[in-house]
Amino acid sequence: MTGSAPDLAVEGPEANEDGPTAGADTTAVEDTTSSNGSHGSDERRLADLEQEGEIAADYIEGLLDIVDMDGDLDLDVEGGRAVVAVVGDGLDKLIGPGGETLEALQELTRLAVLQKTGVRSRLMLDVGGHRARRRIELRKVATNAAERVVDTGEPQKLAAMTPFERKVVHDVIATIDGVRSESEGEEPTRRVVVLPD
Amino acid sequence: MLEAALEHLVRGIVDYPDDVRVDLSSNRRGRTLEVRVHPDDLGKVIGRRGRTARALRTVMGGVGGRGLRIDVVDVDR
Repeated sequence: MTGSAPDLAVEGPEANEDGPTAGADTTAVEDTTSSNGSHGSDERRLADLEQEGEIAADYIEGLLDIVDMDGDLDLDVEGGRAVVAVVGDGLDKLIGPGGETLEALQELTRLAVLQKTGVRSRLMLDVGGHRARRRIELRKVATNAAERVVDTGEPQKLAAMTPFERKVVHDVIATIDGVRSESEGEEPTRRVVVLPD
Repeated sequence: MLEAALEHLVRGIVDYPDDVRVDLSSNRRGRTLEVRVHPDDLGKVIGRRGRTARALRTVMGGVGGRGLRIDVVDVDR
């Protein structure tokens, strides 16, 4: 296995300074190692995800202009999905209580992408660093719950969470020995349960 | 401003953006944004089990504050 361009689809978050249009070397590289035969389609997939981000950015920028809010848009592709972050201060109105406005805006933005591309989008939207902050809090919540489960042997039901939040918790629990997690209930009160494993 | 914001949000998710119309009305009970779209787009604006309409209300509630009603007007009758 050679070490050349091991994973184009998952660039580090710091690697997107130039945004999605910066594909200077767009020459198709089909001679990648045989250990990864799907590389050609990976590249197309990356281009599709970058296009998703651009459509989403247009949609959100249009809204910001109309409501006279300032925010810069950062585009990225992470873990096989487009990530669009609105960065700036004074964006609380677009986050809402418990992030509900952010979730709603993400849903509309995904629909706007679907409308333009015909493909359902798993795009992730962040506003004002909300998801990044929430991720840190949720890691604590998950770790604490896991400790209680290990100590007591009893399942722990967590508070109702959005799909994004549950995913963060499931991912943390999956890394801890002796516990596993499930989701139960219906949206919007669906919650994670941490169980002994 | 609120009309333009909702119009933008709706136009981005429908097949007939030019047919989107939003009117703001106010009375003692508060402000209402009335949305009219092409009949073929009604389902898109409402969404499965009202999901999309709810998302539009939530975002517009965030932008426009409490007490802002949003009616999707069914013109196809």
